[in-house]
Amino acid sequence: MTGLWRRCRELFQSQEVDRESVAELEQHIALAVDDKRRGGVPEQEARRQARLELGSVDAVREQLAEHRSGFVLEQLVKETAYAWRVLRRAPGPTALSVVTIGVGIAASTVLFAVIDGVVLRPLPYPEASQLVSIVDTNPELGVDRTGAASGNIDDWRRQTSRFEGIAGFYTMGRTLSAEDEADVVLTAQVSTDFFPLARVTPLLGRTFTEDETLAAQFDTANAPTGSNPVVIIGHELWRQRFGGDAGIVDRTVMLERRPFRVVGVMPAGFALPEAGVQAWMPWDLSGERPRDQHYLGAMGRLAAGASIAQAEDDLNRVAETLARDYPDTNRGWRVRLNPLATEVVGDTAGVLWMLFAAVGLVLLVACANVALLSVMRGLDRSVEHAVRLALGSTPGRLLRQSWIESLVLALVGGALGVGLALGGLRVIPRFVPDLPRLDEVALGARALWFAFGVTSLAALLSGVLPAWRGARTDSDPARGLRAASLRFTASAPQHRVRDALVIGQVALALVLLCGSGLLVRSFVALRSADPGFDPGGVLVAPIFLDAQAYGSGERARAYYDALFTQLEALPGVEAVGAATTLPTSPLGPDFARPVWPDGVVDERLRIPASVRMVTPGYFDTLRLEIAGGRAFDARDHPDAPPVVMVSETLAARLWPGQSAVGESLVVDYSTAGTYPYEVVGVVGDVRFRGPRSEPLAEIYLPHAQRSYLIMNVAIRGAGDPRALIPAVRSTLREVDPQKPAYGLTPLEDLVGATMVRDRQAMVTLLAFAVSAVFLAMLGVYGVLSARVRERHQEIGVRMALGADTSQLIGWVAASGMRLLASGAAIGLVATWPLTGLLSGLLFGVQPTDAVTAVSVVVLLGLVGITVTLVPSWRATRVDPVAVLRRG
Amino acid sequence: MATEKLDLLILKTLDLGPLHGYGISRRIEQVSEGVFRVTLGALYPALQRLERAGAINAEWSVSENNRRARFYTITRTGRRRLTAEEQEWHRVADAMTRILQVEAE
Repeated sequence: MTGLWRRCRELFQSQEVDRESVAELEQHIALAVDDKRRGGVPEQEARRQARLELGSVDAVREQLAEHRSGFVLEQLVKETAYAWRVLRRAPGPTALSVVTIGVGIAASTVLFAVIDGVVLRPLPYPEASQLVSIVDTNPELGVDRTGAASGNIDDWRRQTSRFEGIAGFYTMGRTLSAEDEADVVLTAQVSTDFFPLARVTPLLGRTFTEDETLAAQFDTANAPTGSNPVVIIGHELWRQRFGGDAGIVDRTVMLERRPFRVVGVMPAGFALPEAGVQAWMPWDLSGERPRDQHYLGAMGRLAAGASIAQAEDDLNRVAETLARDYPDTNRGWRVRLNPLATEVVGDTAGVLWMLFAAVGLVLLVACANVALLSVMRGLDRSVEHAVRLALGSTPGRLLRQSWIESLVLALVGGALGVGLALGGLRVIPRFVPDLPRLDEVALGARALWFAFGVTSLAALLSGVLPAWRGARTDSDPARGLRAASLRFTASAPQHRVRDALVIGQVALALVLLCGSGLLVRSFVALRSADPGFDPGGVLVAPIFLDAQAYGSGERARAYYDALFTQLEALPGVEAVGAATTLPTSPLGPDFARPVWPDGVVDERLRIPASVRMVTPGYFDTLRLEIAGGRAFDARDHPDAPPVVMVSETLAARLWPGQSAVGESLVVDYSTAGTYPYEVVGVVGDVRFRGPRSEPLAEIYLPHAQRSYLIMNVAIRGAGDPRALIPAVRSTLREVDPQKPAYGLTPLEDLVGATMVRDRQAMVTLLAFAVSAVFLAMLGVYGVLSARVRERHQEIGVRMALGADTSQLIGWVAASGMRLLASGAAIGLVATWPLTGLLSGLLFGVQPTDAVTAVSVVVLLGLVGITVTLVPSWRATRVDPVAVLRRG
Repeated sequence: MATEKLDLLILKTLDLGPLHGYGISRRIEQVSEGVFRVTLGALYPALQRLERAGAINAEWSVSENNRRARFYTITRTGRRRLTAEEQEWHRVADAMTRILQVEAE
């Protein structure tokens, strides 16, 4: 037998090794006894002497066992089994603990999985951290961010060194038709570098060749020209429209009535340059192009080793060169770079982190509850502890036992939590369908590790107090036994531990309640804010006319005239209007051009104003206020002098303190010319990007005088705008079967979409707060009930001595109120710095809003009083006779 | 008794031939003329330790007065260790003696 063999036997034949040790030790004694008897000592006496000289066999046996390999593990298994038995003895509290921990772990795991998928994980592209979005900015003109100009992108990519590639793109809905069916799909025309910098290989076929890109020209209306056009389609379109046909490559599809040859299919999950794009066309951006039309999206891939800051400096150096070379168009224009991931996720990240912090607080409250249950159970078991100590257990072992119980609770809770999280992740898409990168959210290895970590943490947190309490059991067994058998009430330190736990719970619940109260008030303010237009009852129909069929303004106007006439004739339709882009609508061209009062040379009065081409019915349909002058009407026909309407904000900036009506406004319309327009009216300010956004400098041009292919048609109905959808759909088909309905949405939904993050944050935080309050109240209830139970005797004596029920109720209620008041006070202090985290989410409410604080405290107080009622009532039900008889 | 010293004594005792636990303790007591008394609580953990280290082997066999006992034998590893520890002991003991002599002068 080698040493290794011995260790193996110890590990796997521990019982046999143990038996052998005992046999050997007894043999030793027997041999000693034999010797003594040979020396003439009688057997009884020999045995006694041997035992005295050699010591206890049992003690040595234990000593040997403790050094055996695997002893600790064995002990752990035993103690776990014991913990399991103990926990099963009290199924009620155990189930409550497990469910509490399980739900806490489930909620935090789900949130972690969402944060992991949406924020933490890099985008699903090779070396995605190198991908950046590029936006133009012009502080001199007060433009914070806008698109890139098509004329600049080619210079950018050729004159920078910190980029592997820079690509421009332009997305729009286009009609794709095959056989008789026409659909609008979101397409992107992309410049040379786009696919190489994405580094994603197509699922089928290939990406564009250089020749194909060079051949791909687009005219000013952004309709594709050039011969032999090609297209790459997206996975979703391929599956849904072409049944996943592997032979799609080299087949022809009709885009805007022109044949395009399919050269490739991108894999599932490819969402560049924007989510939802399902067709890509090449686009040649080299050559002379306007440098002052900022309408392109731009993205780049950093060269290996380059930082975003370096790349931004590099690109701004080029921007400065261009500003010197082309001062008319490029002066003051700079760029800003953002990680593409940040751009994709947007403001969601902040909300998610806030909620993550909140769920952490809920988990803390849950752990406190479990700890509370354990502490109270520990109290019931002080006799057991004293007995075990008297029988030779050590305080260390008791402590370990206590930990193991918490660990078992947490592990079972964790398993339940993972199960619940799986279910939770399945329903998440139903609640937040608009979450970016939603398809990347899953309960993967990282989320499971997280759940495991949270479970361990929960075990640690919920076990630390009970264990500490258990270890403080009197270590002198005799004294401990005496105290335990005499003890009717919890000792002062036990009270303190319990009270501290409950006060902590109430404080945490109050923090969450304050936070959600603020979000509720903010959301109410957001909902009641006047956006300057009335979205109620309005249906939005985005129309993308193609230059192929509607290239001349004449034909587009004819189409829209016919469409409006038919729509107005529909039953239930009250008004019809259209604009290039509608407030809060994500579709349609939204661009700004410099404007200034005619005759003014002061450059500072050249203001970039958002340009909207609108029909006369637009103002009535959206119920915009006409703050001065008149709205457009039939007088503003194509041959009439050019007219413009301006927003109040613009009027106030250009002509402060005087009426803008009748003034002459120059619009630098780049390719279409720069000339003055007569201001015929002033339009009330509109919060164009939702209630949070500031009113813009805007100009309105009559669609009759400057026709546009893309229009968002607004249809105001008498009732629910959704009721209009079938009629609008068939009307569109009648006017042009090749221009089917796309994206028919009530305007209220679009406005709601700008607040959707606020609503989700509010609802989730409110749910967390309610859970925390519920758990905290469970804690308050538990502690008060325990107190009444422990003081059963005292209460009975008091009653016998003449205390009336109101005094008893007062006693219980007062101790309940003390807990609530301390918790609320601590919570309010803790809330102070924490609400600052919410300030980015709040609208029309200060983080230190007193109304919220007061109403939250009152609410908590009311709930608290209700909770103290039951234990109070129970105190009055104590039978003094029974108590006294029992003595 | 320090554990290394006990280990050394056990190994030295077994170097003379296989013995059971009781025999080892008897031998140590006799040879040391009663200076070293080995209790169960010291002996068996030491034997367990040495066996796990591979310095000794154990086997059940029948003792001189017909009792089954566990006999310990020294292994090659054990002998090497014995030699090394013996040398070390002599070195330390010599040094101790010299120091004590110096103090006595």
